[in-house]
Amino acid sequence: MQTLDYRKEPHGVYFLIDNKSFYASCECVERGYNPLKVPLVVMSETDNTNGGLVLATSPEAKQLYHLQANVSRQRDLPNDPQLVVVPPRMNLYIKRNLQINAIFNRFVADCDLLPYSIDESILDLTHSWQLFGDSPRAVAKRIQHTIRHELGLYTTVGIGDNPVQAKLALDLYAKHTPDLIGEIHYHTVPQTIWSVQDLTSVWSIGHRTAKRLNRLGIHNMNDLAHANPYLLKQQLGLMGMQLFAVAWGIDRSQVSEQTGPKEASLGNSQVLPHDYTQPKEIETVIKEIGEQVASRLRHHHQLTSAVSLSVGFAYAASTTDGRAGWTQAVRIDPTDSDPVLTQTLLQLFRQYWDGQAIRNLAVYTSKLSPKQGQQLNLFTGVEQQVKADRIALVVDRVRARFGFTKLVYTSSLLPGGTAIRRASLVGGHNGGNAYE
Amino acid sequence: MNKDVRIINDRLAAQFKPVSQSRYWLQIVDNHYGGYYNIFFNHQRKWQRLRSIPLHTIKTYDLAYLETVVHDLQQLTQLTIVYDGFTDQYWPQSQRLIQRKKHGYE
Repeated sequence: MQTLDYRKEPHGVYFLIDNKSFYASCECVERGYNPLKVPLVVMSETDNTNGGLVLATSPEAKQLYHLQANVSRQRDLPNDPQLVVVPPRMNLYIKRNLQINAIFNRFVADCDLLPYSIDESILDLTHSWQLFGDSPRAVAKRIQHTIRHELGLYTTVGIGDNPVQAKLALDLYAKHTPDLIGEIHYHTVPQTIWSVQDLTSVWSIGHRTAKRLNRLGIHNMNDLAHANPYLLKQQLGLMGMQLFAVAWGIDRSQVSEQTGPKEASLGNSQVLPHDYTQPKEIETVIKEIGEQVASRLRHHHQLTSAVSLSVGFAYAASTTDGRAGWTQAVRIDPTDSDPVLTQTLLQLFRQYWDGQAIRNLAVYTSKLSPKQGQQLNLFTGVEQQVKADRIALVVDRVRARFGFTKLVYTSSLLPGGTAIRRASLVGGHNGGNAYE
Repeated sequence: MNKDVRIINDRLAAQFKPVSQSRYWLQIVDNHYGGYYNIFFNHQRKWQRLRSIPLHTIKTYDLAYLETVVHDLQQLTQLTIVYDGFTDQYWPQSQRLIQRKKHGYE
């Protein structure tokens, strides 16, 4: 069997900790139930979920009914009197996530903790694990016990010599072992990673990447590890090299050296409650999203110089048109103004929309620059410009203090408007103010 | 009627829609992890899934206070109240056992 000299690779103690069925577990604990015992699903029933979308399922519900989070719909739920259906509360889950990360902070320094998603965090315990136990596994058990004892939640822990090994240990092994802990180390890569037959079960390989790999004659992780890296790079670009490294359990990233995005962007998107065909209704929603994005730009003290509008067609329209939708972008003078942004978006829409029924809308702003003062325009009166800027700030302040729905544009009351109904959603689901 | 009772009652009124062959009840949970009480409105149609809607969280973690809230609630609604997480606890005033046995899911 081919091996690699791992001596020069970074060796550390990394944990990737995930909350078992996070949303569902939080809801179980709130009801006094053990998260592993009760068949419970968290179902979002906002009007764009087409009856209801299952956001999370408890392990018991997953096993009994074979449900999948974010895929299963209300129609997939069996009419079983045992099954408990609850609405989501995003604010509660965010609060629990912060509490969990505060517990992690007792075991690692701030710079060695990286929250990866709402229910996953990466911990670099290289320098601190010896303070808390005899072995990394003992420390993992201690963290699990602390979280279970203080918050009632179960956690799964992937342990590795680097972050990717920890992630693979979590996804491939920890979720299926009785103690909810999985381990991968450099010396166990052939047994633990190369033995994986299903490529899509590996982090960073989706169905499309798996198909491309299949075309190259790669059908499992053993094939990937023994493929020609130059061929992989030629066929898949940089991703090919990254996949090759994953197959050998190599990851040189450091948790403490966090890399931000090369260029920040800010935007919002939404799935519409039904297919929109009337231009007036579509324009109302575009205007609302534009205003929301402008408000967020002002909140972050940023100006945008590039605006893009993405339109996703309804299912029937996309089959006739052959395209799923379109995205168009335009450069503008730096701004955070409601009317400038919305007018630009409406222009883009009128120019490129061809009458198709629409189901998704997204507005993104990029080329952001910090707002250090107001850039005045030579062609409009100074007072008028300053006044317009002040009005926007006052509207933002009123909304921040009293809530979004207390001051809305009358256009939001027109047919098709979604802003008022969406104001209390967080991440598109029930719970909190999405305008900050 | 105190503020907690009013909130529970208002939210309950908004949620309660009588449907035939359905049962409705209130669930009060002692969340000893967070130190507060949760109130849920549960309803279930015969042979259908159970739906559980959060109504309110009582932050005052004091059984005597909860007893007054429950007393006031019982004046306003005839719904059965089910308790979870209260095993071995007694109401301070009436000295009655709150929850007889543990729920199967606890």
